[in-house]
Amino acid sequence: MNMTTGVGEEEIAVGCILAIKTTLGDEFEGQVLTFDRVSNILVLQDSVPAAGVLKSSNGRRNIRMLKANFIKEVTFLGQADEDPLDVNKCFLDLNTLHSKELSAIRQAEIDSERIGVGVTPEAQSIFDALSKTLPVRWDKTVIVVMNEVRVSSPYTSERVTGGTPAANERVRKVLELERKRLQNRSPAQ
Amino acid sequence: MNMQQAVPPRSVNGIGRRRGEKEPGNRFDNKLSTGKINSGRLTASGKGVLGSDKRIDNESPSRERLVYLTTCLIGHHVEIQVIDGSVFSGIFHATNADKDFGIILKMARLTKAGSSRGQKNISDSANKPASKTLIIPATELVQIIAKGVAVTMDGLASELQQEKQQDIMTDSTISHSRHVDVERELGRWVPDEDVPECPELDNIFDGPWNRGWDQFEANETLFGVKSTFNEDLYTTKLDRGPQTRELEREALRIAREIEVEDTQDLHLAEERGIQLPRDIELDEETRYSSVFRGVNDSGYDEKENLLDSRNIETFGGASDSSIGKSFTAFKSGKSNDVAEMPSSSSSMDDIQSSQSMRQWSASHDQIKQFSSDPHHTSLLALDGGSRVREGEVNENLAVSSFKELEKKTLNADTQPSKPRELNSSFGQNKGSEGQENTLNTPGHGIAASASVHRPRVSPSSSKGSLSTLNPHAKEFKLNPNAKSFTPNPTTIRPVSPVSDGSYYYQANVPAVPNMHGIPVAIGVGQSFGGHQPVMFNPQAAAMQAPQPFFHPNGPQHLLQYGQHMILGQPRQVVYMPTYPQEMQYKGREF
Repeated sequence: MNMTTGVGEEEIAVGCILAIKTTLGDEFEGQVLTFDRVSNILVLQDSVPAAGVLKSSNGRRNIRMLKANFIKEVTFLGQADEDPLDVNKCFLDLNTLHSKELSAIRQAEIDSERIGVGVTPEAQSIFDALSKTLPVRWDKTVIVVMNEVRVSSPYTSERVTGGTPAANERVRKVLELERKRLQNRSPAQ
Repeated sequence: MNMQQAVPPRSVNGIGRRRGEKEPGNRFDNKLSTGKINSGRLTASGKGVLGSDKRIDNESPSRERLVYLTTCLIGHHVEIQVIDGSVFSGIFHATNADKDFGIILKMARLTKAGSSRGQKNISDSANKPASKTLIIPATELVQIIAKGVAVTMDGLASELQQEKQQDIMTDSTISHSRHVDVERELGRWVPDEDVPECPELDNIFDGPWNRGWDQFEANETLFGVKSTFNEDLYTTKLDRGPQTRELEREALRIAREIEVEDTQDLHLAEERGIQLPRDIELDEETRYSSVFRGVNDSGYDEKENLLDSRNIETFGGASDSSIGKSFTAFKSGKSNDVAEMPSSSSSMDDIQSSQSMRQWSASHDQIKQFSSDPHHTSLLALDGGSRVREGEVNENLAVSSFKELEKKTLNADTQPSKPRELNSSFGQNKGSEGQENTLNTPGHGIAASASVHRPRVSPSSSKGSLSTLNPHAKEFKLNPNAKSFTPNPTTIRPVSPVSDGSYYYQANVPAVPNMHGIPVAIGVGQSFGGHQPVMFNPQAAAMQAPQPFFHPNGPQHLLQYGQHMILGQPRQVVYMPTYPQEMQYKGREF
């Protein structure tokens, strides 16, 4: 049951395991969850190992939705016995989804705050390391620690300014330590 | 079969655009108002082939499944690949399912630039701000990848659980460990070539006698260390003579006998697997606590045996005479000692329980006075370790009072009762208050009388022996006018300005303005240099409940520590607004 390219009149059965190559060069395998002709979208989930372990223990799957017109090559690998999507268990709660989205957005916003705009990756990693133990935030390309101490590019100990001497000292020390740690790591990478 | 709806052509420039009116979610929502797929439709074509349905309407089962799965993605982190190969990652917000599935992402960023822009370093692009909303028209959509999507109820349930768990601030979330670079690649250890030869690790667990390895020898050769180890210092030398075998056999026999021996001791019984009679109430504490309970109340006869034997086995019976003496029978009114005291005790009866705490502190100081006596140290330790409970307080009181008795030799001829009787008066405090009362009465009497009748003794000995427990403790002076204290569960919690939900964040925010000289390390008691070792709460600012209880001198620290034991408020360590400014900034030393 080999299928030709594109969407023809062939029927794509739910539960088929296919190996697909896209026109963009991606290759993957998956089990068909559904295929909608109207929109020409094929939905796959990561194919299950044959041993019978249906999904990960928490019921989550990796889902891929592909526009069928980008399929370059399809190989039929097999057919599962049952519908991978247990219809009786398919429930959705819009409220839950909404709150999930909101919290995801909130988290993403928080995360984006932590990323400096237009800073080098090295600076970013220093920022991340400092943020583990000190309250830090970005001010353009300057790392501001505890709202007092400023560390500007190139983020060495000499560039630590501001704050009480004690705080300054402390930030300097932490900075040196983190730099050393990063240096130790990078040759190993 | 071109299913694309008529969409006005747009110029492709590889980056998502902000304009464009896609209907985000209206009709999408309507379709799913019930939130459940019409399973009736699906079951007909659940298995098998879907493509047979040639209707080009939006109600086909495959369409419904698609819509359902797409809905599952809402709020999920997805990656979208577009025509030119670029990949955008963001939070899936909406799609116009009734048209052609254009996608709207929130907080999206370009993670992989397509070929039209050349290969770029991902981290560079990560440093650009994320667009709040990104619209990807259907014409550019190639594929959507989402990992870890909860599709069915099992998945959804676990997801909800995870969400709830994320509200709790765990250390790893706080430290944002995921932002740190991944640790370097770990490689399997291979021993260096030039390390001096090590013994084969395979037979490291062979018995030392046949391993052929003498550690002292090795040490000496390797490092020139001469060993002074003499095994006989640590163990009894066995006479290995002609009778060794017989002696061994005999020893084994005795050992076996002992092991199956019947015992009344709780702990031994458990070890040997002997079942005790079931009617004895044994909670975890009785079974496994290492606190020595000492003398038992007269009412609990059935436990006498157990505790009795435990005591004997622990303390060696009558050989330890001082302990025996100190535990002379304190049965209510039985011994002569006690009989002499009740005169002053009657007045104490009324406020007996309420003064229990005070008396406890009194006895505590008196305990310290006798700390020089080695025999009492065990009891001291136990007193310190026991929980602050009214009943127990009274026990300790009685014990300490007895020690006092002994010291002051009020009655030289205390009846050397058997330890058995003593054991009976302490123990599980499930008992009647009445028994405790009678027990306490003489105790109180003694304590009071001791301090009253023999003031000379207490201060004089106090100066000398206060030291071992707490060098800073001030002498306790009985304050008859002090208000009585009753621990009241409802007043324990002081009003704290820190609200529950923002516990952690509060710590962060005030840490910033307080930065001048105040250590960020929250709640580290040692670094505060200290006049008072255990004090977390500032001077009476936070503690509202037991104000009258603060004796100006005396075991203040003990009481406060005791309060901490009652209250168990870890959050107070955050509350440090009034630290003296001269405290040096004691951050972490690197």
